[in-house]
Amino acid sequence: MKCPRCVQRIHRAAASCPHCGFTLADAEARFGATEIHILSLTDNAGILPRGDRGRVECAMRKITLRFPQIFLSIYTCTLGEIADVRQFGFWLLNRSVLDDVAADKSNDAGIFLILDPESKAAGMVFGYLLDPFLDEVDTFECLSRAHAHWLEGNYADGILRCLTHLDLVLQKKSQQAKRKPKFFEQKVSGPARLDGSRNASNAAISGGVIAEVKQEVDS
Amino acid sequence: MKWFWLALAAGIHSSAIAQVEATDTPVETAQVELALTEKIVEEPSKFIKVSEEFLPAYLAERPSQFLIDPQNLLGSSTFQERLEFLNYHAGDSSIDLFVYVIGGDQQIPSEIDQQDRLSRFFSTGRPAVVVDYYLGAPQRSVFSLSPSITEAISVAERNRALESSIMQALAKTKPSEQLESFLAQMSIRIYWMERMLAGEAAARDVRPVLTVENRLSAAKLAKSEKLRRLQSLAIQFSPFVALLVFISLIAFIFLRRIKIRARYHFPLFDVEPRLGGANGAGVGAVISFANATISPASQRDQVPDSLHR
Repeated sequence: MKCPRCVQRIHRAAASCPHCGFTLADAEARFGATEIHILSLTDNAGILPRGDRGRVECAMRKITLRFPQIFLSIYTCTLGEIADVRQFGFWLLNRSVLDDVAADKSNDAGIFLILDPESKAAGMVFGYLLDPFLDEVDTFECLSRAHAHWLEGNYADGILRCLTHLDLVLQKKSQQAKRKPKFFEQKVSGPARLDGSRNASNAAISGGVIAEVKQEVDS
Repeated sequence: MKWFWLALAAGIHSSAIAQVEATDTPVETAQVELALTEKIVEEPSKFIKVSEEFLPAYLAERPSQFLIDPQNLLGSSTFQERLEFLNYHAGDSSIDLFVYVIGGDQQIPSEIDQQDRLSRFFSTGRPAVVVDYYLGAPQRSVFSLSPSITEAISVAERNRALESSIMQALAKTKPSEQLESFLAQMSIRIYWMERMLAGEAAARDVRPVLTVENRLSAAKLAKSEKLRRLQSLAIQFSPFVALLVFISLIAFIFLRRIKIRARYHFPLFDVEPRLGGANGAGVGAVISFANATISPASQRDQVPDSLHR
């Protein structure tokens, strides 16, 4: 995991970035502290004509149907002087309310694609539900599929390519999670604790830690 | 070969001298030596003459069938097969083909005039090609034409016919197969002689035309035969193939529908919030498409502030 501001690695449960002290409060100071109401496809930058918009919505709907737990959001805007797609994505994930998404789905089940045609940058962030399954490399692969199209200004085509690859990645990860759930659980579980509350599956995976814990308990 | 016979004669000579020395009679010795000297000078023939009892069949009468084998050298079954072929040829061609079968180590006595045989027996009736075929030694074959077509067929053409037939025969090892190949090729050459007789100028240079046409027709025949086989196979198996295609199509559609309708789920795990974000924090990639020279690969390692303006 990396800090949205300094892009340094951070601990999975860090309350603030140990390198720069960044928190959501810093992002709110920059982009606003109030919630914003958006649609799952919000084209503030006006880069998607009506026909392209339909194609993109269709692709989004397919993914949402295939993966009932999650939803997709595409947000295009011109960030101007405050352009920092990574921080903006982090803020949007935590401060947006999607009016066309079922109320039982919170933003931690969302995947947000932010596209800024002015600064020519795009980012992808996702909530905690997908935290064990996706990582930076997966999202980067999705974005890189769209790179050539976006270079030429074909935003809709780029988004479609990006979503197609995302669909494949999610299918693969879901199948892997079905086969090896403990592997993914171990990725997000917290550090070992002496009170024995740590679940057995984590202990089974990290054998070295078990030995250490036992020693400490014995002593 | 000549050297072999000379050496053999010399060997006989020396052994004879040895025998003569043992008798100790000078007059007899001189007579024997004279006789042997004459034997050496005279070229010995390696071929034996055809027995007189068979000569009439070869020379005394016009043959009643196209294959003449009075010595029964071919055997009855081979004789019948070759005779059938010659009969077939006669039905198909205006020039008959008569074949006298002679042993490979035999020869017709030289005092008999074979031209006389041609003029007596083949000057009337249909034109004919007459071949003295030496079984097992096709290279010794003698080729003659009946007087009615001798003028029309050039010597070169005759030689070509004989040469090509001999070549075909020599490609085989068994004498019976040699004769079969010889006759087949000779029959083909006779066909071209017919065309020459019919005055077709285009047929003068027959060799290349023959080869190409034969090959083409053979290829066409083979192709049509293959096509016919394929058609029959296709008709035979088409219901199965159609059924297989239908089942595959149904299976494909079924699997496709299953895949489209498949729903994927992720197990839910408790994740501790980070950086104060209730829904997610600090993960995901950013890519810049400001410059075509900056490829996605060069942006793979996301470094601090690399994408800030």
